[in-house]
Amino acid sequence: MCNVGDDNFDDLENSKYMPAKEKISPFSKCNKCREATPIVVLRSKDKYCKECFLSGTVHKFKALLGKHKLIRPNDRVLVVHRCGHAGTALLHFIRTGLDLGTHKKLRFEPVVLFVEDHSHLSLKERQELLKRVEHEINYFKFTMHLTSLSHLIRKGVNSEVLKNCAEILDLDDDSKSIIDNFVTKQTNTTNKTDFLNIARHKFMVDIAKELNCKFIFTPEISSDVASQLLTDVSLGRGSHIALNTGFCDFRDDTVKILRPLRLFDMKELGFYNHLNSLNPVTYRIVIDNPYKSIQHLMRKFVNDLQVNYPATVTTILKTGDKLALGSNKIRTCDLCNAPFEEESADLNSAESTQFSHWVSTQAHNSSLTSQERYIQTIEAFNNLTCDTYCFRCRQLMK
Amino acid sequence: MPPCSTKCGKNAILKRPKTGDVLCKECFFEAFENEIHFTITRAKLFKPNSKVAIAASGGKDSTVLAYVLKLLNQKYDYKLDLTLLSIDEGITGYRDDSLETVKQNRDDYEMPLKIMSYKDLYGWTMDEIVAEIGRKNNCTFCGVFRRQALDRGAVLLKVDYLATGHNADDIAETVLMNILRGDLARLSRCSAIITDSGDGIPRVKPLKYTYEKEIVMYAYFRKLVYFSTECVFAPNAYRGHARVLLKDLEKIDPSVIMNIIQSGESLKINESANMPTLRKCNRCGFEQRIAQARDWQVK
Ligand SMILES: [Zn+2]
Ligand SMILES: [Zn+2]
Repeated sequence: MCNVGDDNFDDLENSKYMPAKEKISPFSKCNKCREATPIVVLRSKDKYCKECFLSGTVHKFKALLGKHKLIRPNDRVLVVHRCGHAGTALLHFIRTGLDLGTHKKLRFEPVVLFVEDHSHLSLKERQELLKRVEHEINYFKFTMHLTSLSHLIRKGVNSEVLKNCAEILDLDDDSKSIIDNFVTKQTNTTNKTDFLNIARHKFMVDIAKELNCKFIFTPEISSDVASQLLTDVSLGRGSHIALNTGFCDFRDDTVKILRPLRLFDMKELGFYNHLNSLNPVTYRIVIDNPYKSIQHLMRKFVNDLQVNYPATVTTILKTGDKLALGSNKIRTCDLCNAPFEEESADLNSAESTQFSHWVSTQAHNSSLTSQERYIQTIEAFNNLTCDTYCFRCRQLMK
Repeated sequence: MPPCSTKCGKNAILKRPKTGDVLCKECFFEAFENEIHFTITRAKLFKPNSKVAIAASGGKDSTVLAYVLKLLNQKYDYKLDLTLLSIDEGITGYRDDSLETVKQNRDDYEMPLKIMSYKDLYGWTMDEIVAEIGRKNNCTFCGVFRRQALDRGAVLLKVDYLATGHNADDIAETVLMNILRGDLARLSRCSAIITDSGDGIPRVKPLKYTYEKEIVMYAYFRKLVYFSTECVFAPNAYRGHARVLLKDLEKIDPSVIMNIIQSGESLKINESANMPTLRKCNRCGFEQRIAQARDWQVK
């Protein structure tokens, strides 16, 4: 069907084109102090000198935490550390915030968690990586807990699987097969990734409970959030967007997951680390085929947008901010723990898909007329019982 | 090919992208038609004894829509009075072939056809509009006129409903597009199966849950005649990106289309978010930006 007339663009010609990057004049001054020579350009338009950039970045971090006023003094916060600019910058933001001498200092009590999840590397590489991560966390003087994904899968969450130094964390050399086995019932890479992400999420919440933390900080940045949002839409988790991409995931009654870096982009944090002489731990990655899964494709799509149309990534984030939880908290999904979508009497995609599968698999009784067969089919269809899983998790649990 | 999923005894000839089930030709026809019947009855798209205009472009979607609506109207006794409605923009050389196809539909399905020209609807042909205002604003006005044309035509025909051939792929693409352009108002409305265009005649989409691929297969196996040339109007940049993305997603997992529609249907807009409301022109009652085009016409 032709959609040209349906798009309703206002007659501003440019609203039809996605804004591309702007060109920067080499003679410009810092946007903030209007004096110093800029050293960094963000979102291809905002130019800052070193001092203004660093103070602005720290301010942005604190402003988002302060705006939501969720954390009280002495609350324990589980800080999830991951290798890379985002994880390192997060540790630095927290350390410098705690060490401030002014009334603006951070007052919560952080505990850092690192879950080893690099089964594509050799055992030796993983042990090396773990040591370097331990060294990094020690540099910031945080209490730390180390574990690995395959341990969590094999043993579940308990005080035994959490180690406070790399020396005593005995990595499984068959982590890959343990993980593959865990997702073996899932039929494709998209579903395997989705299922594993739900498990990672559960482990994280259980570890927070084990360590008496009411909050979790995770290091997702803007492009992570945008690709998560588009992935959620594509998997049928539209009603979970507020939980999966918002500042606070409150689906658990006792532990809230916060995303304090969700408005930063990689360039910002890369510069921040560089100007603070911080070198994140790096490791060998595998370049995946973007068509391997929906999650991979969305990551590539958003990375391409970030390079060519950075304003569109911001638009996606803003869209997400205006979405509310499309569901009530009375019943929750047995797998992902997200609230069920609000019951509606209207026909929806889920019911239509169910019906299509139903009519495609009902035994064909050729002694009936086509009309009679339809009546028989619809009567049996209306008697189907409802599930304990949300729309998407049903696809993972069938 | 494996045996048909309904265990009818025949061998399957296709795999349904919507569910992954494999069906023989006869069982596919029955499933395809029954699903549209299910959509129409379950979503209460039409009241009995009403008059329905089918937006007919000569393309595959509107051809299949006209064929199936006629078939279901007889089989399940909807008591609908069906009419084909086509718009002739008067763009030299473009519409002629597709209008021939629509006339073929009229004869094949024994349905009345009303072709309305821009001249009938606005008093100007597209070529005259272009000559008057120049190429620069062509696209904008063209889009506005095209959108309003079907609604105006439906009003002139005095129908109760306007049925369009939007399929599941179109809806999914529109959901993605509205996320990319950050249009929350349209994001929350674009997945609705019944929409009100502002003139009181509801627009309904009986093929909302039907895959484009299945529409093509249905037309092929039923040997329906349709006009298969791509639309000459380029999509806007956001729709273009959304379209490429959706095609890529579909290659990985075809169920993504129904998943995106499900997401679109369950999205809720935060109550505190500022939403632009569409204003209606107080002269003609059409939406504000449509009224701009009308003003131009009046001048
Ligand atoms: Zn679920
Ligand atoms: Zn069959």
